[in-house]
Amino acid sequence: MLILMMIESMLTDLGCDSVTAAATVDKALALIETQVFDAAMLDVNLKGDNSRPVADALAARGIPFFFSTGNGGHHTMDGYENRAVLRKPFIFEDLAAIFASLC
Amino acid sequence: MVFLDAKQPGNPIIFANDSFLSLTGYSRKEVLGQNFNFLMAHGADAEAMARIKAEFETGSDRGAEILYRRKNGSEFWACLFVRPVRDENGDVVQYFASYVDLTKHKEELTQSRMLIDELNHRVKNTLATVQSIVWQALRMNSDPSVIRASIESRLIALSRSHDLLTRENWKSAGLHDLVQNALEPFGVAGGRADRIVIKGENIRFPPQAALALSIAFNELATNAMKYGSLSNEKGSILIEWKIENTPEGAQLILHWQENDGPPVTPPSRKGFGSGVIERGLAHELQGSAHIDYRRDGLFCTMNIPAPRGAFDE
Repeated sequence: MLILMMIESMLTDLGCDSVTAAATVDKALALIETQVFDAAMLDVNLKGDNSRPVADALAARGIPFFFSTGNGGHHTMDGYENRAVLRKPFIFEDLAAIFASLC
Repeated sequence: MVFLDAKQPGNPIIFANDSFLSLTGYSRKEVLGQNFNFLMAHGADAEAMARIKAEFETGSDRGAEILYRRKNGSEFWACLFVRPVRDENGDVVQYFASYVDLTKHKEELTQSRMLIDELNHRVKNTLATVQSIVWQALRMNSDPSVIRASIESRLIALSRSHDLLTRENWKSAGLHDLVQNALEPFGVAGGRADRIVIKGENIRFPPQAALALSIAFNELATNAMKYGSLSNEKGSILIEWKIENTPEGAQLILHWQENDGPPVTPPSRKGFGSGVIERGLAHELQGSAHIDYRRDGLFCTMNIPAPRGAFDE
């Protein structure tokens, strides 16, 4: 919860006009259906569920995105090995650099 | 254990004890005369064959770990120990081979690997949470002593909620327990225990939700200490909740009502605490939360889906 709020305020500092968050796969999919996103940051695990359906939905719409994770290992999602991964805890400049490369 | 004929190619089994039969699921008749390696799960596994060969040649103290297959198809890890049996001339005539079933050992290794991974995940999330606490404190304040106090009080709240969840083996935490746990530092320090009333069932929340709620109550209590009904001598707080059945399912309605504090004026800008509750908590628990700065006392409402299994205890 606090991590999300930090990311929100970091993104605001980076100049994002609108930041929307989803805590579950279902909510994320519903948001992707109804809103237009310039970029997305996707946790590989949403409330215990693998977030692959969300990655697929983002990819299908061509929305640039990257992953975030609390796992230190070489965790990647099959088919998305080339996407950037931001590991928690992370450095503000890294977040900024990844977003700059996406948008 | 089994005895093998050392003189025949493939070292056929010439004796098998009852433990071997119950381990593998075969009858004695099916086993006798079989090639020693007939039990191997992956017959052509060159690496395993090399380990077996080495065990036959040198007979190490540690044995060789081999994946075997039972008659019913299920696989099991066993540690193989081989010793030669010699005749009076010193020639190897038989081999004695014993198996130690490693199933339980392997399960424990898997279990401990999972625990380590889970622990790592939690530690990384906790570190990111700490990062967030520091980030917010630096963003909102410029006075170093205020920054320090802000970080410390939130770290202590985080630590206390970890203690509560650890007491519950990180399965869940009861709402009554977690509210009490979060408010304890505020009640005890000022002798205010009788000014804080908590009324509601001990509804169980999963760990992530329990952490979020604990942080939210810490923010509310901190605000009450600074500006609200815990900032004077006679103010009080009533925290109560109930479950209501709505068309969307069972909803938990929680009220935080401050009374008899100094007159309330809405803050000129939204602080971190109100953000935690109105956006953070609402997001985390997929509900809504609202803070009403009523003149006679701050009033906070949380409306969140009741956790599944809420009525179990």
